[in-house]
Amino acid sequence: MPDTESDSLDRLSPGVTAVIAALDFEEADRVRLMELGFIPGSSVSCQRVVPLGDLAIFQVEGTQVALRKETAARITLQASDAGRNPDADGG
Amino acid sequence: MPTAVEPGTATRHGSPSENRVVAICGPPNVGKSSFFNRLTGLRQKVANYPGITVEKRLGSLRLEDGGQVDLIDLPGIVGLHPRSEDERVCVEILRGQSDTLPRPAAAILLLDSTNLQAHLRMVPGILGLGLPTLVVLNMADELEARGGSVDTKAVSAQIGAPVVLASAVTGAGMEEVVRFLRGSFAPAGKVELPVINNIPAERQWAHSVAARSSYHAPEPSLWGRRLDRIFLHPVGGPLIFLAVVIAVFQSIFTLAVPIMDAVESAIGVSAGWIGALLPDSMLKGLLLDGVWGGVGSVVVFLPQILILFLFIGLLEDSGYLARAAVIADRSMRAVGLEGRSFIPLLSSYACAIPAVMAARTIENQRDRLATLLIAPLTTCSARLPVYALLIAAFIPERPLIGPFLGTRAAVLLGLYAAGFFAACGTAWLLKSAVLKSKPAPFVLQLPAYRWPTIRSLTFRLVDRSKIFLRRAGTVILVTTIVLWFLASVPYQNGEPPPIGESLAGSIGRTIEPLVEPLGLNWKIGIGLITSLAAREVIVGTLGTIYGMESDEGSPALQQALQAELSFGGAIALLMYFAFAMQCMSTVAIVRRETGGWTWPAIQFAYMLVLAYSTGFAAYRIFG
Ligand SMILES: Nc1nc2c(ncn2[C@@H]2O[C@H](COP(=O)(O)OP(=O)(O)O)[C@@H](O)[C@H]2O)c(=O)[nH]1
Ligand SMILES: [Mg+2]
Repeated sequence: MPDTESDSLDRLSPGVTAVIAALDFEEADRVRLMELGFIPGSSVSCQRVVPLGDLAIFQVEGTQVALRKETAARITLQASDAGRNPDADGG
Repeated sequence: MPTAVEPGTATRHGSPSENRVVAICGPPNVGKSSFFNRLTGLRQKVANYPGITVEKRLGSLRLEDGGQVDLIDLPGIVGLHPRSEDERVCVEILRGQSDTLPRPAAAILLLDSTNLQAHLRMVPGILGLGLPTLVVLNMADELEARGGSVDTKAVSAQIGAPVVLASAVTGAGMEEVVRFLRGSFAPAGKVELPVINNIPAERQWAHSVAARSSYHAPEPSLWGRRLDRIFLHPVGGPLIFLAVVIAVFQSIFTLAVPIMDAVESAIGVSAGWIGALLPDSMLKGLLLDGVWGGVGSVVVFLPQILILFLFIGLLEDSGYLARAAVIADRSMRAVGLEGRSFIPLLSSYACAIPAVMAARTIENQRDRLATLLIAPLTTCSARLPVYALLIAAFIPERPLIGPFLGTRAAVLLGLYAAGFFAACGTAWLLKSAVLKSKPAPFVLQLPAYRWPTIRSLTFRLVDRSKIFLRRAGTVILVTTIVLWFLASVPYQNGEPPPIGESLAGSIGRTIEPLVEPLGLNWKIGIGLITSLAAREVIVGTLGTIYGMESDEGSPALQQALQAELSFGGAIALLMYFAFAMQCMSTVAIVRRETGGWTWPAIQFAYMLVLAYSTGFAAYRIFG
């Protein structure tokens, strides 16, 4: 779970929710990821890590999106105390 | 049944110049196609956007005052920054920048009411395009069933556009949609919306609009997660994937057989009627042997193709397909492709042409090239009639795994596997030599699980039948007629010659030395040439050739083949069809997509060598 240091999405354990801080991609990739819901300020949770592969499935802005670990590693999370969840989107 | 109207041509009502084209747009999987189907019914057609072949669906809606509105079902977009070809088409049409379609007069933005606060983010961008827009919050049935609610008037007041809560499944809210379509498409009043192109600001705005519209999000559905736990299970997931694939192939044989028998006897009976009605003449020969025999022997396979598409439809509509892509990602990576290549490759099981087109969604040019080069190796539905005929003629049916898998389905499965592994091997070769590149990021949205609806499946099958029958009525019909003429000249003593002495016969004999090493005779050789037009043409060709040769009417094609081909020859022919690029439309599409003849020539030669050598080996082994 994200601690005091800024953490990245690939290290989010299944079941834990955090808030996206920034995306470290070139502009076009950044826009596409935001359009798919990975927007700074959005809360994101890891639903499951796909076994054998290096994919993980995230719940963000009400949809499920599969990302490779290496992509998730470039999405940083807001430092927050456990369970703080300012933008929980009930669904 | 209402008379068919050619959609997208002229409006029958009002001045002909009056533009009544309405575009349906929105994110993927919000129900755009279902909504479009609900409004247009069967008065629609699937076509390709000229120049680029992304499917477009046009339909029309008759209003009770006699007027007509034309609707376009656009590909899904997640924003106004298109990355793939189909998204680019959608945005260009909405912006009025399309060379081929005029700007629509109005738009319907479809959003998912069960995920409103996220989807409202699309509103500023679309309204900013300046088209009169109706915002439809779809899936009202699901919103209600899961205890959610929304005040549409409040949403409408905040976004400055009419808003309707509707369901494409139950039909709720459709009268209001029709009222909008009947209206005068006046531009809406100005309302302060957040700056476009600032996604975080749009998100903030969307969440606050939802909050101020007393939006109660529905309870999350728990069974979606439970299903994921099963379908993405480390061991269970891949096993289920395999089981699903096997079930599809087994039912292509078991379910389709009685229907095919019925179609076949219907064709036979009707041929008898036509034969009795017409006086003996050359025209009668053309109609009976050429058209009825040739086209009929292809149409028989419609049930099998429909069953294949029924399964693809079930998998896609239920949401399972995206999970299968997740499971396949690792294997795609192993051969050096990105997971995104999985979707075009999957659609190449239907037809290589849309697959070559769909490869445009791949941004990495080298991966895209690799994908479109291997797409024709996967088993498209045009191979199915050829496989089905040869398997039925040469493989005796025996149970292998109890009632679940018989020998015939297993051979079919093996052929699909052969195509699949050839595609993977070729991809690996290409990616480790000529087309090396860094792997691209893989992002895939997983739609919610849903019960597929009979309606949506029906529309898919009607679409497929139209496409298949159109092919049977054009390419296949023309090749059959040309072949029939070649086989009927030169006349000897006022009679058509024996097939061996006809023009077709001499062509066949000329190429016989080429096909002999595969254990094939000159008749099959003719089929290999005619089927360059489309693979399934060979069935009709053989129907025509054998139908004409026999004295007492048409012997069943299977028996004719059994008499003329050895087992090894049949396997060689199967191999040839598995690997050869017997499809000129695909060659043409690859030429257009790669901008030259180099790649299609390499591809054609490569596949021919693969087909010929495996066919040769098979004939040696199985004799
Ligand atoms: N419950 C419910 N399901 C719907 C509704 N509209 C569409 N669907 C389902 O949502 C899925 C996606 O629909 P489709 O029309 O293919 O979406 P598109 O990608 O936007 O064209 C299908 O399984 C439909 O049956 C609706 O109003 N209610
Ligand atoms: Mg659709």
